[in-house]
Amino acid sequence: MARLVATEVAKRAGVETDLIDISTMPLPTNDAGEAIKDKSFASMMDRADGLVIVAPEYNHGYSGLLKHVLDSCLKEYIHKAVGIVGVSAGPFGGTRMIENLLPVMRELGLVTIFWDVNFSNVQNAFDAKGALVDTLFLQRIDKFLAELVWMATTLRYGREHVKL
Amino acid sequence: MEKDAMQCPRCGKTMNHHADKMIHWAPDVCGEVVEFHSCPNCGAAASRKAQA
Repeated sequence: MARLVATEVAKRAGVETDLIDISTMPLPTNDAGEAIKDKSFASMMDRADGLVIVAPEYNHGYSGLLKHVLDSCLKEYIHKAVGIVGVSAGPFGGTRMIENLLPVMRELGLVTIFWDVNFSNVQNAFDAKGALVDTLFLQRIDKFLAELVWMATTLRYGREHVKL
Repeated sequence: MEKDAMQCPRCGKTMNHHADKMIHWAPDVCGEVVEFHSCPNCGAAASRKAQA
């Protein structure tokens, strides 16, 4: 799913994107927060104007690993845009994960958009050839990304020109 | 002009102060307000403890 969304982001004119697989990040588990900041990840967060989080729902919530990674930065996120894509094996498409993650976004200084994308029954989302079964998702992703890019653009202008 | 404006660490231009946020650095610290600045010239970000 993350690769699908990243591909759609990359198609948008004027947008550069990187796909970050947090499962490959070598973060320690004997500490947390900015004490375990990963230079490469922090650099990408610093450079970014917006984030797309593609995350599964585990037991009605977001994964501990996602929180661990997100908590490793803070100042890099302030007044930047974030959109969340939920993924689940069940019928709700990560809706509960998204609702639980929103307060975390707020505290990290990230500004959430009012569009989500919800991939339910994800095990049936792609056919044997790897093609997306329900192509209506692409329209939903397009709306989601349009809003995210608008918010990211607006916030960048705000960060650079609008005084507190 | 803002008192003690931050200068961009990358290009030296005056940065825009766009946020003050309470940051809780550690469980035993109540927290402190941190200023966040962004450079209108090169987009660099910087922060510092809020000035009185």
